[in-house]
Amino acid sequence: MTETLPESTISIHLSGMALILPASLVVLSVAILLAVLFLKKKKTPSKGPSDWSIPTLDKHADRDSFFHNWNPAVKVAALLLYCFLVVSLKTLVCSAAALMISILAVYSSRLPWRRSLQRLAAMSGFLIMFLLVLPFTSREQPGEILLIFPLLPGFPFHLNGFLLALTIVVKACAIALLMEPMLATSSLSATLHGFSRIGIPSPIIQMILLSHRYIFVFHQELLRMLRSMRVRGFTARTDILTMKTMGNFFGMLFINSYDRTQKVYEAMLCRGYRGNFPAFHTLEINGKDLAKGGMWIMIGFILLFIELMPSFPSP
Amino acid sequence: MHLADNGYHGYGPAAGELLFQVEGLSFVYPDGNQALADIAFSIGKGDRLALVGKNGSGKSTLVKLLNGLLPLQKGSIRYRGRETGPSFQPVPRQETGILFQDPENHLFCNTVFENVAFGPMNQGCSRDEVEELVRGCLETVGLEKLMYKPAHLLSYGQKKRAALASILAMKPEVLILDEPTANLDPRQERILQELLAGFPGTLIIIDHDLLFLYDICDRAIVLADGRVHHDFSIRELVSSQDSLKEHGLDFTFRFACCGGRHENTPIVPHHHHHLSHDHGRNGVHVPAVAREPILELQHFSYQYPDGTTGVSDINLAVYPGETLAIVGENGAGKSTIAKCLLGLNQGDGYFYYKGEKMDRRRRQILWRQVGMVFQNTADQLFCPSCREEVAFGPQQMKLPAIEIEKRIEEALHRVQLEGYESRIPLNMSGGERKRLAIAAALSMHPEILLLDEPTASLDPESQELLLEILKKLDMTKIIITHDMYFIRDLSDRTIVMHQGKVIRDYPTPDFLADRHVQAVNGLDYTYKNNCLEKIMDLQHNHLHHGG
Repeated sequence: MTETLPESTISIHLSGMALILPASLVVLSVAILLAVLFLKKKKTPSKGPSDWSIPTLDKHADRDSFFHNWNPAVKVAALLLYCFLVVSLKTLVCSAAALMISILAVYSSRLPWRRSLQRLAAMSGFLIMFLLVLPFTSREQPGEILLIFPLLPGFPFHLNGFLLALTIVVKACAIALLMEPMLATSSLSATLHGFSRIGIPSPIIQMILLSHRYIFVFHQELLRMLRSMRVRGFTARTDILTMKTMGNFFGMLFINSYDRTQKVYEAMLCRGYRGNFPAFHTLEINGKDLAKGGMWIMIGFILLFIELMPSFPSP
Repeated sequence: MHLADNGYHGYGPAAGELLFQVEGLSFVYPDGNQALADIAFSIGKGDRLALVGKNGSGKSTLVKLLNGLLPLQKGSIRYRGRETGPSFQPVPRQETGILFQDPENHLFCNTVFENVAFGPMNQGCSRDEVEELVRGCLETVGLEKLMYKPAHLLSYGQKKRAALASILAMKPEVLILDEPTANLDPRQERILQELLAGFPGTLIIIDHDLLFLYDICDRAIVLADGRVHHDFSIRELVSSQDSLKEHGLDFTFRFACCGGRHENTPIVPHHHHHLSHDHGRNGVHVPAVAREPILELQHFSYQYPDGTTGVSDINLAVYPGETLAIVGENGAGKSTIAKCLLGLNQGDGYFYYKGEKMDRRRRQILWRQVGMVFQNTADQLFCPSCREEVAFGPQQMKLPAIEIEKRIEEALHRVQLEGYESRIPLNMSGGERKRLAIAAALSMHPEILLLDEPTASLDPESQELLLEILKKLDMTKIIITHDMYFIRDLSDRTIVMHQGKVIRDYPTPDFLADRHVQAVNGLDYTYKNNCLEKIMDLQHNHLHHGG
């Protein structure tokens, strides 16, 4: 069943039973999606509409944990640097270790798992595509194991491609999981103040702050307009009338948003706005904050260092 | 009658320091619309000024010029004797705080604390001062316990008070309020009134509600077509019915019936419940009356996705041809029940339309029979012309073009908007937009018309016209409102909601006489009725004794 090809790749021709591998991937993906849907449904009261409301980012910022008691500026700087170090990892083992660290971080931050899982669910489609496409499209390498499926002889499954996809997925999950401890353990304005301390330009910070505030208003406006269209009999079809209606709808949303922007700006001017938001928080950095930051950066470097050790198996 | 045409007699500012001296002020918008033309008046320190006039008369433009939000084009504004404008000192914006109509525009920071702290921090106050100011202002408006709550989670009334606190925290010399009572229930209105009565500085209030302004303001400037038509004492304004009529401010239609004293309304014997509480074999209530309701909710409850109770155990029947008013304080569940009656909120319990059980799949049938007019017309009107707006519903019903044309003509005629076919809804006045929204619903030939706060933000003239139109509509009507005068003039039956439950269901005259219910759920109109009586006496004296 196994033969060595002249190009020194190893091809394994699989029988029907060996379809289990890709099938299991598909099943796993579907299971993740179903789990996410189940979690969503469990929270929704019976017969009520689905809760598509936008959650507040800093809803749990008033709790008490390792991350909550950390100065946001140092926290943002240290965790961002740590994330860059995780991105530079090349092996599955170290990436898996980073994922474990992220899971521990979420656990210790005392934040609800649901929010972190929702983050993973949001990027799951993209990651699943990686897992499904990369094994079939990566370049052949010497000594690589190829799995040949009975019905797909022209599309060998590259094990190296699969490992690469898996490493990317694991790293992405590790970083996505860290976002909750990083962003949801301080009030948004404190976190953004932290971002400004590490050099993010003030206009960007203000745009994020205002976007976060008005996304809720905009979302409500959008829902109200859609609702009023529906009660007047609107059903989206694939016809000119629907396209015209949607054009009017988006046009009116744009006009309303523009109008609101003008009014908000006027209200800001009336209250002394001169291009900058005042800093509502005093962020004093103490030794403990720096020690926490140093620890995270060190963990990142240790993972990187382990990979560089000659005895460590290369990817 | 214009100032320049005479007949004008200036009331002028109270004796003392002059804050604003406006001379020859004109303003033209880039689209050529002349908002103000040759305005002249003065405002003294401590004045309590009502700025009134029809929608589009230039009130908002004027206050934006006073605050320096709009640039001076022609004329002059002196503040404390100093010339202001681009070549001079800027208008001191932070000394003239404006509270805009929509509180969402003021609450641009994340939490209530940050919103209130924004102004004082920009004024350069120290952190300790800011902390103290924020706490003080939030205590004044009764929101100290919500200091760290995200702004988007506040109720409308709370948002309004938080916005006011954010202005008060800057300790403005002049407080300008644009339609402060819009969408507030009587209790919230009363709270706001007390807060404003205690404000020590100069007040400028734009509002259509003269009953609200009557006790707060001592002076009224009437604007029409961008010009000052009268500068009265507020007593003079309200006592002159001719002036009120001339400027679309005549609210006396509100007490055309019953002499304005609702105690005089006859009480009709009634049953409090429309249904017996006997259950049939299927567990559903057995109707106690022979008439079949057109819409019916039985033991109906609805929870919002976040777990908040919207309405709880509602038993309500709506009969063909009747006009039902739904009243209650802000947050009582009135709009929620309207959405339940439209099938938009699918809750637990029984919901029937003409005896047929309604569910998610069958609510399309309902939407053809129930025309909904939402509180904010901006949510409903999205087409580029009135014709398209009215045609939208019939087009979705796939009616023939000739029928659609017929319905457009008919619906616009019913709301007195003939000739408006090609007008852009966005450029129309609030009253016209509200009537257009009604026309859009009527074009679907509904059996029931459901109106959510139809009078909110309308000037008295538009309200009177709307009342006249609604009276002529021969169909089942459900009206959600705080406006007692609309309830009295339009509805046969009133249900009172409180904390998501129907606490009373009785004929409207009984509701009007039920002061206890009005008081317990924040619908106490006693104060407004007293104002009405005073104003009626003033008008009577003015008419019979020449002032």
